[in-house]
Amino acid sequence: MTAQLVCRDGVELLMDYLEGVLSETEREAIEAHLTRCPRCVAFVESYQQTPRILRAATAAELPEHLAASLRQFLAEER
Amino acid sequence: MTPAAAANDEKLAALAAAGDAAAFEMLVSRHQARVYRLAWRLTQSEADAQDILQETFLAAYRGLQLFRGASRFSTWLYRVAMNAALMHRRQQSRRKTEPLDAYLPRFDENGQHAAEPADLRTASRADEILDQKQLAERAREGLERLPDMYRDAFVLRDLQELSTDDVAELLGIDRAAVRQRVHRARLMLRGFLSHLAGVTP
Repeated sequence: MTAQLVCRDGVELLMDYLEGVLSETEREAIEAHLTRCPRCVAFVESYQQTPRILRAATAAELPEHLAASLRQFLAEER
Repeated sequence: MTPAAAANDEKLAALAAAGDAAAFEMLVSRHQARVYRLAWRLTQSEADAQDILQETFLAAYRGLQLFRGASRFSTWLYRVAMNAALMHRRQQSRRKTEPLDAYLPRFDENGQHAAEPADLRTASRADEILDQKQLAERAREGLERLPDMYRDAFVLRDLQELSTDDVAELLGIDRAAVRQRVHRARLMLRGFLSHLAGVTP
């Protein structure tokens, strides 16, 4: 890994970078790239927001009738 | 507060294993919402999630004797729930869906992002651009269109917010594989959100 990392390399390493498991050399290469690449800064922001948006949009609540039928099911099966 | 309500999960599991029905009911009420949400996220279906929810707690009840308290009860219950979900999946014929590969990031011949910063950032605002109901429908579609192996890792790690270690153990793969699968899922869903928010990747 050299300091001449391009966006595609950075994207490939992004998860490992955010999880803190990259070597120091790789981490420094990514950070150097981010200081001069507004595209990657924007990309990282959207990459990091993706889990949050999906989490909120799929936070299914257990409907009350299902909680009630779970109780009944378990009472019958036990 | 009854004694059972104050007890931790591991204590309740021990009581339940010894035949205390109230202790088991307490465990059900503590964990049912989380198990249901996990099951819904894995299947995107209320009916399937209901089946998995029931199978999970029935299997947990029958398997309580096997819970030794070496791990946390919640971790053990996750394993029971994942097994129930995988069994359930095997019995279903999966609907054929269009893959999300078209939404992976694009690069020019020099390996640089093909899109402009403003467009690259748009996915971050998908929840402001789409209304809640629309977004919920499309999020469900996004999960449905992920390959199973990516969806499982993404749901556990990013949606249920388990640690990479816990996900690795649950899926029986190493941490690097968890990160790789979650990464692929994030890339696809990020691009899908951009697309929903009006940007072509």
